[in-house]
Amino acid sequence: MPKILIPTPLRQYTGKQDTVHVKGATVGEALSDLTTQHKDLRRNLFSDEGKLRSFVNVYLNDEDIRYLSKEATPVKDTDTISIVPSIAGGSRGAF
Amino acid sequence: MIRVAGEPWREMVAHAQSTYPNECCGAMLGRVDGEQKEVLVAMRLENSSAGSHAARYELRPEDLLAADKEARARGMDLVGIYHSHPDCGAYFSETDLKNSCPWYSFIVLSIQKGTFDHANSWLPNAEQTAAEKEELIYA
Repeated sequence: MPKILIPTPLRQYTGKQDTVHVKGATVGEALSDLTTQHKDLRRNLFSDEGKLRSFVNVYLNDEDIRYLSKEATPVKDTDTISIVPSIAGGSRGAF
Repeated sequence: MIRVAGEPWREMVAHAQSTYPNECCGAMLGRVDGEQKEVLVAMRLENSSAGSHAARYELRPEDLLAADKEARARGMDLVGIYHSHPDCGAYFSETDLKNSCPWYSFIVLSIQKGTFDHANSWLPNAEQTAAEKEELIYA
């Protein structure tokens, strides 16, 4: 089964597991299985419209799925999927 | 509460002063136990923002992935992200709020005229509409 590495702040929703093994032939199916197993993850990863949140990047092994076939990217049993946040900022725009 | 140990704190301050008048950024590795966080390693990352770095920073996702792998290899957690604000306060700006994944602690270091002045840690909310100040303790 492919595995998904869970970022530290999201492990509170996976019973403290840092890795979750999932079923699925594509990245989208694997993520769907992950959020079926751990329902509270869904709102952290997906918008109300069911799209991956803008600050969530998904990597298959070391490649960004945006440069593969996005959520239709095929996965093998030996693959590792990583959830990687987008982070940027800067001093402009003080409150 | 987030506590930064002496060595990573000195590294973060040295990094922020060395990139002045530009912003620096990096990852903080350590341990998380509920709301108690301990930073044991500061990992410098490249500011990959296009254009001037005087008031902007950006992390490449692959660099963050590498930081997460480094944390796992050390038996640690990726606790948060730090960056600097040259010649302005350690607030969490609108730019920070709109562009940051709200899962982590974000430490902002204020560098005034090239020298460390003060720092704050921030916890953005899930809607990315506001950030709450987190108690920060450093050596």
